[in-house]
Amino acid sequence: MKKFRLYFEEHNRGPLTQLWQQFQRQHAAVFGLVMFSFFLLLTLFAPLLSPHDPYLQNADLLLLAPSWSEQGLVQYPFGTDDLGRDLMSRLMKGATYTFGIALITVIGALLMGLALGAMAGMSKGVKSSIFNHVLDLALTIPSLLLAIIIVAVLGPGLWNTTWAIMLALLPQFVHGIRNAIQDTLKQDYVAAYRLDGASNWQVLRYAVLPNIWEHLTVMATMALSTAILDVAALGFLGLGAQAPTSEWGVMIADALDLIYLAPWAIALPGILVFASVLSVNLVGDGLRTAMTKRREN
Amino acid sequence: MMLHYFLRRTFLIGFVFVALTVLAFSLSYLFPGDVLNNVSGLTNIAPEQQQALIQYYALDQSVLMQYLAYVNRILDGEWGLSFSSQQPVLAEIIAVFPATLELASYALILSFVLGIPLGLFAAVKADSFFGKLVSGITLVAYSIPIFWWALLLIMLFSLTLGLLPTAGRINVLFDIPTTTGFMLPDIWLSDIRYKSEATMDALRHLLLPAIVLATYPTTVMIRFTRDSMLAVLEQSYIKTARAKGLSRAQVLYHHGLRNALLPVIRQIGLQFSTLITLAMITEVIFSWPGIGQWLLDSIYQRNYPAIQGGLLVVSCLVIVVNMLTEILHTLFNPLARKA
Repeated sequence: MKKFRLYFEEHNRGPLTQLWQQFQRQHAAVFGLVMFSFFLLLTLFAPLLSPHDPYLQNADLLLLAPSWSEQGLVQYPFGTDDLGRDLMSRLMKGATYTFGIALITVIGALLMGLALGAMAGMSKGVKSSIFNHVLDLALTIPSLLLAIIIVAVLGPGLWNTTWAIMLALLPQFVHGIRNAIQDTLKQDYVAAYRLDGASNWQVLRYAVLPNIWEHLTVMATMALSTAILDVAALGFLGLGAQAPTSEWGVMIADALDLIYLAPWAIALPGILVFASVLSVNLVGDGLRTAMTKRREN
Repeated sequence: MMLHYFLRRTFLIGFVFVALTVLAFSLSYLFPGDVLNNVSGLTNIAPEQQQALIQYYALDQSVLMQYLAYVNRILDGEWGLSFSSQQPVLAEIIAVFPATLELASYALILSFVLGIPLGLFAAVKADSFFGKLVSGITLVAYSIPIFWWALLLIMLFSLTLGLLPTAGRINVLFDIPTTTGFMLPDIWLSDIRYKSEATMDALRHLLLPAIVLATYPTTVMIRFTRDSMLAVLEQSYIKTARAKGLSRAQVLYHHGLRNALLPVIRQIGLQFSTLITLAMITEVIFSWPGIGQWLLDSIYQRNYPAIQGGLLVVSCLVIVVNMLTEILHTLFNPLARKA
């Protein structure tokens, strides 16, 4: 055993470990992370896990009740829809669309935002102010209106509306990243690094980025919850994913005609949208708290 | 100082408006179909008319001249015809726009009345059971997809309990003459005999959409009031005020709330475009005859001139609200004036 302890052990851990330590102290956030991983697994492996083909129509089993009611069957845990398709398989496949597409959108917007935000953050004067004003314009167009315009130009479809959601998310990313970069640039260690002769790119790569990635993650989780809600809302309105696709918003819109006969067909996809957004928000809030606490220590 | 600030703001707004009209103008070319149809809104153009129309809309001249002609027409209030009804787009917008404004403003008022006290409460009593409850409910309400929430409320209050109507602004039995376009003032201004019944009916129609639409801004308001109040309560001037012997309520009101609400004002402007998106979805579900439903009908019918007009009006509204909150923020906060 060592005789002297020069440092408190906890303070000597890497930033990631410290973050995780703060994060796992919050039970709600860990619960959110478990749910988030569940949805991620579903997104990746839904075709392997689902018990039936989500698009297979079975004329003998139309509008089967869920298995917890008297008329239900165990093979169809959540029953079937009005075309005899297994609801559970459709819901699982829906994670690929709603959750997966939202993830892709956020990653796309994050990468674009990083490029544009870095440009805006590292530049000064007129260039940066023009940049800001163009962004302000993008901020003023509501995301649904943007989607309407894009659908009018390109036609409806899941991938077309992805662009609308990406564009709607972009301004907040660019603003956030630009502000974070400019805050970091004011730090003394950046000035010291510059005095060592570091170029703009080196400052960005080695001094700024490692210090803002936490911000980026928090921003991305906030954006992800918006993106999931937007994908589902556009599907519900018939602008995004189209009818046979088992996207959750589309499934709710499909089940509207059956609101009296099969209320669970509206309730279940909605619960999934809600649960996925909640999990993302829990993780985001937990990360933010963990981040502030880590900085305080 | 302030003058300089306002001049800069005006210049900025001018820039945004120019960019917006350029976007709206270019849409005539980007939308499918013939440019002449998209610009004029006429669905059937006789061959002998064509030449005159091309001259009138300056389509034979350079793009810059076309754009200037377009801006001129916009300023003259000539926004083309709607494809589906062949009525002027601007007149249709004026007919539906107040309904949206009415719904959105009631929802905003509701979110102020509920959100700020609750957020304050959650900050002051952060560790108590009720404070945690408020924070928890906020997180849940923040995550609910609005269209699903609306359907749940309809299923409960309208279909199961039969308490509230599901669609429209007022029962069709009531014949309210339109003066302002806002339903409640219209009822009070009209000289019908059954005023109180009509008011009650309009309120019953308003209740569900307003609650659904207010859910998101209320949660945002609670979260922001709580976060910024927690940040303010950490400041040393709060300790100073307490040390001076001010009561808890005095400190909270004069030193806490006034400083904490500054970022909240700003947030209203930033969140307004989200509110409009949500208002559009709410209108579709509750068949509320506002601009959101009108715009979505326009996209289903591929009514391009209407979409163009809607873009201008909705974006202008968001810009104006953004500008107003920004100016309010600067007026209340001397620190922001320097930037």
